[in-house]
Amino acid sequence: MESCHQGLPSKDIVFIQEAMAFAASTSSLEELLLGILERGLQAVDGRRGFIAKVDFDSGQLAIQSSAGPGWTKEQLRQRLEWHTGAGRGITTYVAATGTPYYTGNVKDDPYYLAHFDDVVSEIAVPIIDSQRRTRGVINVDSPRSDAFDSRHSTLLLALANVASLGISIDEHRNREQAFVEIGTDLAASPNIQSLLSKVIRVAAEVLRFEDCSLFILDQARHTLTLQASRGHLKEYKGKASYVVGEGLTGWIAEHGQSIRTAHPDSDPRWLGLHREFGSEEVGAFLGVPIESQNGVIGVLRAVRRKSRFPWFQNEFTADDEGVLWSIATQVGAEIQNLRLMDRVVHAERMAAWGEMSARSAHMMGNRIFAIKGDLNELSFQLSQLPPDQRENLEQLAEGIQRGVFRLEEILQEFRDFLMATSLTLEEVDVNSLLKEAVQEFFPKRSVLRLELNLKEGLPTVQADQSKLKRCFAELIENAIGFQPEKGLLKVSSCLSSSSKARRLCGLHGKRRYIELEFADVGPGIPENDKSKIFTPFFTSRAKGMGLGLSIVKGIIEAHHGRICEIGQSGSGAKFVIFLPIKEES
Amino acid sequence: MCRVLVVDDEEEVRAAIQRRLLRDSLEVDTATGVDEAVERIKGANPPYDIVLTDMVMENPEGGLEVLKAALSHDVFTEVVVLTAYGNVVNAVQCMKHGAFDYVQKNTPGVDVYDQISEKVAQAMDRRRASLGTIRRMEWFARLTNL
Repeated sequence: MESCHQGLPSKDIVFIQEAMAFAASTSSLEELLLGILERGLQAVDGRRGFIAKVDFDSGQLAIQSSAGPGWTKEQLRQRLEWHTGAGRGITTYVAATGTPYYTGNVKDDPYYLAHFDDVVSEIAVPIIDSQRRTRGVINVDSPRSDAFDSRHSTLLLALANVASLGISIDEHRNREQAFVEIGTDLAASPNIQSLLSKVIRVAAEVLRFEDCSLFILDQARHTLTLQASRGHLKEYKGKASYVVGEGLTGWIAEHGQSIRTAHPDSDPRWLGLHREFGSEEVGAFLGVPIESQNGVIGVLRAVRRKSRFPWFQNEFTADDEGVLWSIATQVGAEIQNLRLMDRVVHAERMAAWGEMSARSAHMMGNRIFAIKGDLNELSFQLSQLPPDQRENLEQLAEGIQRGVFRLEEILQEFRDFLMATSLTLEEVDVNSLLKEAVQEFFPKRSVLRLELNLKEGLPTVQADQSKLKRCFAELIENAIGFQPEKGLLKVSSCLSSSSKARRLCGLHGKRRYIELEFADVGPGIPENDKSKIFTPFFTSRAKGMGLGLSIVKGIIEAHHGRICEIGQSGSGAKFVIFLPIKEES
Repeated sequence: MCRVLVVDDEEEVRAAIQRRLLRDSLEVDTATGVDEAVERIKGANPPYDIVLTDMVMENPEGGLEVLKAALSHDVFTEVVVLTAYGNVVNAVQCMKHGAFDYVQKNTPGVDVYDQISEKVAQAMDRRRASLGTIRRMEWFARLTNL
């Protein structure tokens, strides 16, 4: 800036000082540009002039302010279209080169395009921002020949610098506004979907990222799926997806780092799978990870079209990247909030269901109990009849009784399922409990061989004794049920390592576990059923509701343990249980 | 004659238990809830020999209140508590507070009414034994005082 002003007459310096004071006191960009233009006209004694601004979306120069005689609305609109052509015209030339230009005789000028009859001289200077990008052009004409010289050029450049400052201040104001808007929107969003759409809208409109898309990570499937976009991609919401690591978007999710590039299509990671515009149109790409406390949960990305003008730089700046990061940070925090809330709501609903189920079970139990009373009386009265009259009736009564007992079994299973996670903890020696369970539930005279292989001196666990015993009973009865002819039940216990617990059951952390194994040599679990055996109502036996193994799973997990089945289909089932050891703190 | 109070908020249940115990030639009163039960227990003279009460009524620990009222009226009244099947916590709580025993209402495969009849008979035996002991102690005390 200093060099521009060297050698300026003091009245020019006073003039520039006045212009800067004016700029400082003006809050609207429109007012500022008009004031600058008027001062420009006055300074170079021009007849009419305009300030055109680069429109980042279209790459065109659009007139923002005009001054002097002869402007019609039509002309102002026309002016917009001037520059879509072959890049001719002094304004376009100045924008493209970033250097001032003046001519004293437009008739002989190679760049000049005529729009007013009375123009003889024309001067134009670029408005350049701190990143050396052309943001606009100040253009002034005069009916006199050779009306402009280098002094005028310097004066107008000084004004252009003031305009540039004004433009960037305005942008910062808009960004600030956008942040406030996003912040307010986020806080007011009732659900994740509407939140994401709002983010995309604000980011694209206010921050002038031409198009924005937001992908959310599905941890289980290791996939990013499109949740919000604006243009063409909008149609693919919920469908367009990247595997983590795939393409630029997948890379961002995998590494938790941003990507900012002006040439995405020449990046080796670029796949061009899901694009906001056609491949040849995609110009700049900017993507940042959305993070929560547990790592990356999504990707927010913005793209711009390739500029059709060689002079028009359309890439994203470090500022843009900063802005996108901070939006992503807010979004990440808010998504985490909403997810937590969802979880709470879900938990409440489940609690309500549980409560209702428990009440229903209680009421049904009481009804059945009353029916059992009637049955008892019926059997008694039948026993008082002469034998020949009672045989058929007794069979009927027994049938009803069997039905009632069956109902009670179902009810019991249902209750166990409901109660699986409410534990009464005490210090439990798992080996003694295993021995008790075997004693109680493994028949004295059985076709099965029993092999107990319990590691002595295991540490204790904090457990609900009766519930844990219920688990063991279920697994013992399972083994018996699936080996009706002959077979083997092997029950073993030992100390396990955290790495084994992690490998087999995905248990994290450094806790130590007691590992229990119930293995048989029956038919085993078919591969297709392996994923289903612990889900409620899955059963391959006629007995019960099919809640057995899901109850076992519920109880074990309520103990912060895990159960999995690792047997080979065809050569026996093998259930492995990990129970965390009570560590001395 | 053995006197039993049956406490349950379900009419059919009361009727069924009463009928079963009448078959055993017992004298059976019924109460529809905790308040009525407590009132009957307080007004009973001589006290009930046996109180058979449901655990969960309008109040989930209603049975416990009945139990306390019975024992505070006559420490030798035997109380049998009916609990939901599998609710060991409740059962243990009753035993701690001095119940004679508990019966799980929905034990699959078990004729609970015969079980109740048995439990009541056992409870009656214990009450007789306790009262017999008391009588002998009183007699002994009289003798030594003389």
